[in-house]
Amino acid sequence: AAVGSERPQVVSHVQQALSYTVFDCKWVPRSARLLCLGSAARGTGIVQLYELHGARLELLREIEKPKPIKCGTFGATSLQQRYLATGDFDGNLNIWNLEAPELPVYSVKGHKEIINSIDGVGGLGIGEGAPEIVTGSRDGTVKVWDPRQNDTPVANMEPVQGESKRDCWTVAFGNAYNQEERVVCAGYDNGDIKLFDLKTMSLRWETNIKNGVCSVEFDRKDINMNKLVATSLEGKFHVFDMRTQHPTKGFASVSEKAQKSTIWQVRHLPQNRDVFMTSGGSGSLHLWKYEYPAQRCKKDSEGSEMGVAGSVSLLQNVTLSTQPISSLDWSPDKKGLCVCGAFDQTVRVLIVTKLNKI
Amino acid sequence: MPVWLREHRWRQTLTAVYLSLPLRGARATPANIFCSEQYLKVSIPPFLFEAILYAPIDDTNSTAKIGNGNIFFTLYKKEPAMWDSLTLANAAKEKLQHLRENAVLKAHEKAKEETEAKKITKQEHKKYALEATMKVEEEERKRIEDLKEKERQKVAKELELWKNQQKDGDKYKSIQKKGKLHREIEPLKERKSEKMNKTRISNEGTSKTRLKSTKGSCSIFSQNLKEEQLPAPRAAATIKVNFTPRVFPTALRESRVAEEEEWLHKQAEARRIINSDLSELEDLKEEEKNPDWLKDKGNKMFAMGDYLGAVNAYNLAVRLNNKLPLLYLNRAACHLKLRNLHKAIEDSSKALELLTPPVPDNENARVKAHVRRGTAFCQLELYTEGLQDYEAALKIDPRNKNIEKDAEKIRHLIQGTMQSS
Repeated sequence: AAVGSERPQVVSHVQQALSYTVFDCKWVPRSARLLCLGSAARGTGIVQLYELHGARLELLREIEKPKPIKCGTFGATSLQQRYLATGDFDGNLNIWNLEAPELPVYSVKGHKEIINSIDGVGGLGIGEGAPEIVTGSRDGTVKVWDPRQNDTPVANMEPVQGESKRDCWTVAFGNAYNQEERVVCAGYDNGDIKLFDLKTMSLRWETNIKNGVCSVEFDRKDINMNKLVATSLEGKFHVFDMRTQHPTKGFASVSEKAQKSTIWQVRHLPQNRDVFMTSGGSGSLHLWKYEYPAQRCKKDSEGSEMGVAGSVSLLQNVTLSTQPISSLDWSPDKKGLCVCGAFDQTVRVLIVTKLNKI
Repeated sequence: MPVWLREHRWRQTLTAVYLSLPLRGARATPANIFCSEQYLKVSIPPFLFEAILYAPIDDTNSTAKIGNGNIFFTLYKKEPAMWDSLTLANAAKEKLQHLRENAVLKAHEKAKEETEAKKITKQEHKKYALEATMKVEEEERKRIEDLKEKERQKVAKELELWKNQQKDGDKYKSIQKKGKLHREIEPLKERKSEKMNKTRISNEGTSKTRLKSTKGSCSIFSQNLKEEQLPAPRAAATIKVNFTPRVFPTALRESRVAEEEEWLHKQAEARRIINSDLSELEDLKEEEKNPDWLKDKGNKMFAMGDYLGAVNAYNLAVRLNNKLPLLYLNRAACHLKLRNLHKAIEDSSKALELLTPPVPDNENARVKAHVRRGTAFCQLELYTEGLQDYEAALKIDPRNKNIEKDAEKIRHLIQGTMQSS
């Protein structure tokens, strides 16, 4: 139908079978190269660098490390250096120069248990302020590191003495619009979402969405915080409007149930902050668009400002695999180009078309 | 006895017979006419006309026209010959019968054949339709595939273009970087000359050496520039967090929501039950038939110390609705006060039975039930049973100091009796 042909299409461009479990895949900024991070069957960590050549991926380099690698980011590195920060199964945070990967540029045993999620800010020419890396771990702590300071984190969000810990499953930076402001959002396995303000070193907001939080992301790290998407188990995700914080009710949100399975990742399109893609446990990808309400904030009965959440509409969905798609990354350089890694040991490069028309 | 129609008129040609049958006012429909090769019957109750034809006719092509109070038959002969008469004369009764039966049989067979033929044609039509739809769908699918293929190719081309752009861009950038470095060194040179009191000539000398230095140090150089603009690392600090407590360590899907729903449902049901037996209760006032009102009354009497009165109230309430656990619970308390220990145990047990499934909602009630039963057991000197109940209560509510103290006391008592015996 005419309407159908105007919708964005998800075209599978390249599929590459891997011989290891891939946990994270990332585009190398300013290039047509991508990285796959994972764990080999023999229990070691693998980093593979591929380059897109026509309709296939060419392996440029393979690096093996003693511990399996769970996550990685380029967020805190400069465009010239493009160092990769990784978190591994042992709780080590390492920063690697891919040209000379034998020894890490920075290394610290940051956590007692696996680092589940990592994010970086202040690099790649995006935003201002010091480059920082945040890691969230199964030991229940969230730590912020500065690559210029060895051994100790610059911020540590840990459970109160005597409190039983909950696994931190995901972390994200946001609100980094000037040199001082920065927030870290962390999602835990009991459904807690906590927002930490690094400027005031305090807990700014917390909420509980009942199901374990698999992934959180701000629509942009380097602006005044606008929207936050949190995905969880059982197919639900919540979009919070972060512009207006009510003293008791917190942030307004809209939630959507996409499918019966866990939503593993959410990633916003770098070129359009109202479009995001969620990847699911049933091997499917959903492309969503957020529409703002007519009025983003209103006054409640006592006169304090309250946010108004908008609505989310599904643009396209496609099922690529039978196994969960655990990682997703949009290319910051080419609109619509993205890579996803699934637990069927395959990495796929996809192109989403017609994003200009949204 | 049917009325025979005999006033028929007929004439014939070599190939056909034309028969005209007047109907005495009766209305005829095609269903009333029955015709086979040699037998013709028109039956419009109570009228009847039948004829055993002289010779066989072709009954498929023969026609009958109904109209003007008349049926006009056009019967085509099988063999062109002139008939002596319309019907066979001297037809014996058995022959008639025989012929009739034959006729019916033949008609049946023909009908069967016709249905068979119809079925076959229907199937063929269906097949054709199916094939046609399949073709149409196939075309549609191909069209979509083609579209997708085109998209894919277009996109692949764009990607290649972009990639090549990247490569060129990289080359261009590295050239640009060198140029930029040159330019950066200029203002730095001037700044240094302002800061330090060296002569310009010596500065130029130093800067020249910098220019000649290797690329690596140049990049460090430019980075130093940048670092001056970056803020220093944050002062280390810790934020303490609390987590939302969960009864069960896992996510919502393993919570007891289902059981909580069941409990609420059960309570709603219980409130709606009204036991029959209203014959005895007719002299009661309207409010006295309400179990809730009676429960409140019982509570008030308990508070005032009128335990017997409270028991009566609860008894009546139970007669009206025996599914409310709180009635049994409160009655157990009364019995405890009245030292009817066995009754207290019974009532607490009944209350506990009704307080399933165990959910946070009915925690308080369950704790009370266990405590009351435990007390009753202890007063009967059945200390082990009593301790069991106290421990159950503690399990539900571990923070209650009174229960803990009492449990301790009982344990001591048990140990005391064990030691002495």
